[in-house]
Amino acid sequence: MLISCSDFIAEIGNYLDGEVAEEVRVQLEDHLSHCQTCTVLVDSTRKTLKIVTDTTSFDFPDVAFKPIGEKVMAHIRETQK
Amino acid sequence: MSYFGEVVAGTTLPAFTVLRDQFGFVPKLFSAQILLPRLIDAEAALLSSILFRVGGLKRPQRECILLAVAAAHGNAYCFSLHYQMLRLLGLSEQRLDRIVACYEQADLAPVNKALLRFATSLVEKASSFSSEDVDEASSSQGLTDEALLDAVLTTALAVMLCTLSTGVGADPDFGHRPNRSLLAEDKGNRSPAAEKKPRFHLLAANLNSNDSKPFSWLRGQFGFVPDVFRSQTLRPDVVEAEVFAVQTVLGPEDALARVEKLRLLLASPGSDGSRTGRDDALAGFAAKLSAGTESSRTDIEELREQGFSEREILEAVVVISLSNFFDVLQSGLGAAPDFASHKIKEKKAHLCSPDLRHTDLARSADPDAESVARVQAGDLNSFEELMTRHNRRVYRTLIGILGNRDDAQDAMQDTFLKAFQHLPRFEGRSKFSTWLLSIAHNTGVQRLRERRPMESLDETSFDEETFRPRQVQAWVDDPEGLYSQTQVRLLIEGGVMKLPAKCRVVLMLRDIEQLSIEDTAAALGLSIAATKARLLRGRLMLREALAPDFAAQRSGGNAKGLVC
Repeated sequence: MLISCSDFIAEIGNYLDGEVAEEVRVQLEDHLSHCQTCTVLVDSTRKTLKIVTDTTSFDFPDVAFKPIGEKVMAHIRETQK
Repeated sequence: MSYFGEVVAGTTLPAFTVLRDQFGFVPKLFSAQILLPRLIDAEAALLSSILFRVGGLKRPQRECILLAVAAAHGNAYCFSLHYQMLRLLGLSEQRLDRIVACYEQADLAPVNKALLRFATSLVEKASSFSSEDVDEASSSQGLTDEALLDAVLTTALAVMLCTLSTGVGADPDFGHRPNRSLLAEDKGNRSPAAEKKPRFHLLAANLNSNDSKPFSWLRGQFGFVPDVFRSQTLRPDVVEAEVFAVQTVLGPEDALARVEKLRLLLASPGSDGSRTGRDDALAGFAAKLSAGTESSRTDIEELREQGFSEREILEAVVVISLSNFFDVLQSGLGAAPDFASHKIKEKKAHLCSPDLRHTDLARSADPDAESVARVQAGDLNSFEELMTRHNRRVYRTLIGILGNRDDAQDAMQDTFLKAFQHLPRFEGRSKFSTWLLSIAHNTGVQRLRERRPMESLDETSFDEETFRPRQVQAWVDDPEGLYSQTQVRLLIEGGVMKLPAKCRVVLMLRDIEQLSIEDTAAALGLSIAATKARLLRGRLMLREALAPDFAAQRSGGNAKGLVC
């Protein structure tokens, strides 16, 4: 069965997460074999995911949390009295 | 094709949106009922509160129950629907075939086998299902009453869908037709017939809910609150959906008369004096359909000959399906038979006061369980430990929703205070981390509303059709090698911050914090399908935002003014 680019895009997340059934995977890869746009799309989305998971974006270092944790504990101890 | 015609392409109903969101399409079973959209609404409400609900059993576990029941019923439509759903959820065909052929020997966790044993035995034993069957599932695998109630509801839903699909005569949605030899082949172990104990099988909260809205409606209708509803007080949301379904199906008289529907639902033929040929025809149809014998076009033809309109026949099918749903619930919950069965005329009640049983299954699987127990016992230092362990994911959830660091830090303090305040009531039904993130989510959403009252995280759904990627030039082989680590991090953070909040928070938890889809969905109170849809949109938009910096032929050839 032929699938369109929008069918492909709808499945791209599951495809990259390895969560598509064998039959669907074969169809998607068949589409890739003749669609340059979706090939670029899947490659760049895969790279995006790799970059996103590699970097420690939105980290929250201990030093940033310390004052917040202290405030919370002070408040709790206050109310426990 | 179905007995009642097809939906016209482009028809949209709110219930269709829900179904499309969850199944990825509108199964023919539902589109075949377009003559009376309120029926689809009623069914969608039951599906939402039972099958699509996040929390309790996982969607694949519920789909497996649906599949096993469809197989036991020999229902090709439901079999192919649930089979396909499980494949989309990632189970291989080979594995599914093994489950259907003999789940006891399939590659399944013991707890999942116990669930399937429980569900198939409920269907098979019907009214002779007893407290002992329930005890077996709860003692051997530590299934909680909540999980078992979930399983009973899912089984009842499965039977309802089988009856519905037989009645409307829907053709399978998928070309893949199951091997017929797999159908109706049930090799689960059976426990010996059990003596009935007079009580509800599962814990029911002891509500004297005279004030509950659904209960007072039921009392108004039936003069009492049927036991089948009383035995589900652990899940007021489901009771509400069931009452909504009953109201929506029974209320309007645009097809069958109310009294006819009540007779079908209660399987009571009516007093001799008022009985007509029309009633007999309906009762005969009900008995046949409800017993699960392959209904055919001929049965429908017979009703047509009796002068029933298409709408009336369709409504009869739905009422009978609903009656089957309550029938299974009754057996599974051990409620006294308020609704007589079409199939079995005698029912033994297992009615009595609830008893307390509880297990620590969820608790033992949670790495935070010990710290939580210590805090609950009054040890404040353990709460500090929990905060240290989870502060980053709380922060990421909040910045995902709020899109602003300062706001996220403020809301973090609120989140932990609320968590501490509610911790005494935390019962370990979900993991502590999921529970904590759902508090963070609620706190974030509340702040967002205060900040921008018009903005909501979930008011619109995505129109998948309109998303078209624009940046389609190839990327370099090693995009991370182009820039320093800090530059890459800043590019990612900049790109993520530009995403709409509802995609951002999902991507933050799934891809940056690397939670599972299930945990992400549970923390955000979303369905798995909605979570995946938002994740996909977020990933594609982020890719779009990053493309100019990572494409092989970049416009500026450099990090476009990035300063570290």
